[in-house]
Amino acid sequence: MEDGRGERERLTLVARKPCFGLPTSCPKCLPVYIYLKFSKIPFSLEFNLIRPDSDQLPFVESGDYVAYNNEKGGTIQKLKEDGIVDLDSEASGIPEWVSMKAMVESWLAEAVMYELWVGSDHKSADKIYYSDLPWPIGKILYFKQVHSVKQLLGITSDNAERREEEIYGRAAQAYGALSSWLGEQSFFFENRPTSLDAAFLGHVLFTLHALPETSVLRSKLLSHANLVNYAENLKMEYVDANSSSSSVPQTDPSSSASRRGSKPKSKPKREKTEEEKKFRRRAKYFLATQLVAVLVFLSLLGGSNDADVELGDSDDGLDYE
Amino acid sequence: MEASDHEFTHQENFHGDDDDDDEQEEEGEDSEFMSPEARIRTKRAKMESLIRRLSTERVPVRVHDIVIKGNTKTKRSLIESEVEPIFRDATTFQQLIRAASVANAQLERLDVFDSVNITLDAGPPELPGTANVVVEVSEAKNPLAGDLGIYTKPEARSWSLEGSLKLKNLFGYGDLWDGSVACGWDQTSEISTGMPLPKFKALATPLSARISLLSQDWLNFSSYKEQVLGLSLGLLSTRNHDISYNLSWRTSTDPSQMSSDTVRRQLGHSLFSALKYAFKVDRRDSPMRPTRGHAFVSTTQLGGLFPDMRSLRLIRQELDLRYAIPLGFYRAALNFGISGGVIFPWGSAYSNTPSYLPERFFMGGNSSPVFSLRGPTSVLGFKARGMGPAGPRRFVGDNSNDGNSDNSGMDHIGGDLALTAFADLSLDLPLRVLREAGVHGHVFVCTGSLNTLTENAYREFSFQKFQDSFRSSAGFGVIVPTKLFRMEPLKLRFLSVPRVSIEADDRDQLVACHKKLESFVRKCGLNRKRSCS
Repeated sequence: MEDGRGERERLTLVARKPCFGLPTSCPKCLPVYIYLKFSKIPFSLEFNLIRPDSDQLPFVESGDYVAYNNEKGGTIQKLKEDGIVDLDSEASGIPEWVSMKAMVESWLAEAVMYELWVGSDHKSADKIYYSDLPWPIGKILYFKQVHSVKQLLGITSDNAERREEEIYGRAAQAYGALSSWLGEQSFFFENRPTSLDAAFLGHVLFTLHALPETSVLRSKLLSHANLVNYAENLKMEYVDANSSSSSVPQTDPSSSASRRGSKPKSKPKREKTEEEKKFRRRAKYFLATQLVAVLVFLSLLGGSNDADVELGDSDDGLDYE
Repeated sequence: MEASDHEFTHQENFHGDDDDDDEQEEEGEDSEFMSPEARIRTKRAKMESLIRRLSTERVPVRVHDIVIKGNTKTKRSLIESEVEPIFRDATTFQQLIRAASVANAQLERLDVFDSVNITLDAGPPELPGTANVVVEVSEAKNPLAGDLGIYTKPEARSWSLEGSLKLKNLFGYGDLWDGSVACGWDQTSEISTGMPLPKFKALATPLSARISLLSQDWLNFSSYKEQVLGLSLGLLSTRNHDISYNLSWRTSTDPSQMSSDTVRRQLGHSLFSALKYAFKVDRRDSPMRPTRGHAFVSTTQLGGLFPDMRSLRLIRQELDLRYAIPLGFYRAALNFGISGGVIFPWGSAYSNTPSYLPERFFMGGNSSPVFSLRGPTSVLGFKARGMGPAGPRRFVGDNSNDGNSDNSGMDHIGGDLALTAFADLSLDLPLRVLREAGVHGHVFVCTGSLNTLTENAYREFSFQKFQDSFRSSAGFGVIVPTKLFRMEPLKLRFLSVPRVSIEADDRDQLVACHKKLESFVRKCGLNRKRSCS
């Protein structure tokens, strides 16, 4: 009988869709992608487009084995504990490493969450999470998520400004500390990648590429040139490289939209959008015509409908047969 | 027929009127000398003569006016729109009487009146050959009505205990507000509310709308739960035809986080926008224990229509055929039935896309195929969703069955092509007290097959594979019908042993694999092709 732990089949990372030139545009999925890239383990990349509100994503699966993001401290932590990929074996005992990791996963994660759902307009969030869902569902889930984020961050109408200052202030402090520690190194510790690098690189890439140019968080990050250089260099080496042993992005067959490749080209996408719009317009006209035809048919059929009406038991005792 | 002073009441035996008043006067004079019995005989003879005349001769009459009485809250326009089209076409007396019956049924169908009385009165004297129709309604005194019972509904997968409250005619437009709460045996629950929409005069067939919130728990069977928030519009509903439109937001989740690969891929939010057409003919003498007649149901569902092209795109077709033959002893009857169904996605890349999991066909359960006409779902002898393709659940440490009563560790994922057939012999039991209580026995044979066609599986589909996918059961039982439901306290069934093919490189592993698989298959009656490596 097949044993899920016996043989590890090829790893598959199921994440949210690619966007903004990133292999996956979700700020929670990107660090896991980068972590697997750092480990140089071959893996497939699949996208799930219909679960924007699920905390199970991203997850890594291999046969019957699954590492969900809402278990045991996250997907990366579960991969470490299950012995699949562990890049932190030596660094995890270093206090500074632990502190910086905590800073990235709390202050900076909160800052990104605030900026994405509250601080900026909804365009980035729409594109990442809801563009493949039917409109009414996407809209309702968006408002539900905004409300949920505000509750999580403790933001009310009374303290909105104060909380915004706190969040941005902490983010700026974190950027300063990380920039000082990093200097001109390639990685944060011992010149090799750890999950801290994966988490921070994911944060930086998302902030630089997915958030709008008017974003306050983005402008605070741009003031630290070494952090930007760090991110761009690692992106070129690990994310943009199209090696055969690295990820092969695949579509989630259950999704209604298909995406090929980790970098959607802008020009063909624009053409496809125009074609799609044209097709949708024609489809709407066609369906409207069908609806009118059905209504007309019902009106005509209604005139001869009386013959189909069942008569109840007649009490009049009359028999005309 | 000339106008007369007498009324013709639809619900009363009418004592007709003769043109000849003299005859009546003569009768009056004669009746003084006639015995009461002779008087009655004479009147009866006259009545029969009149009825014969009215039923055999074309007596032209047209409706002059429709008078509506008794409606204090109900809008006059509603009643007029129900009855006017019916009486408009009546040109003879026979047609008028028939139209009165039809109109009575139409108004009673609204379910907002305690009683409906239609009387045919003579028209104005200056307009011969006319009649007035008097519609007298008695509005429901108590607009609130409650109900509790055990039902089976299209949205539910099996029987359910349901309580409902109805508020009738709140706004006087024949609107019927109802709220219901249903709990099913398989942990299905539903909250719904519905109302008929205001009648448009141009459309003779009324529209009805229903909003429902349905929650189904399939964790034990397929490791997912589904919530459906939906709006159903009834566009056409006659004896044989039913067209409805359904728009629903469907959400599948897996709180247990144990789902198999196939189920995991399908979790999430979907918009289901589908037009459904059902054609039904049921000529059986009884829906619960048919002994003669036939029934045919065809249901076609087309999903992926407006308002959004990103909604689920699928085509689903179901067919049911039933036939009952009486055998002439002990009220015995032989029932045959065959049901089939297919579901397939459409659109670009349809061949690579899997069919939507909750809409697939699942087989098994205790619902008898004899009286249920819900497609290829009922195969006696198998537990709910116990037949067909399955996938291994997630492996978690040493205990892979946390919180699941089903210890098989498998998710039943349904099929795209389904076929069931059965033969059932039912007969009364020898004891008179059992016969009078309706208790009867039955012997049955069922078979069913479920196959996957999507994700390019149809390319490998063959007749041999189709044959191998059949599972059968046979058994007998005693059925005790009650007012609320039908119970089968005693049932013995025999399942066919499935054939299993195993591939393996290592012989020892093959033997161990085979033993484990045999016991597993014996327990669940599944067919599975595994590879041991």
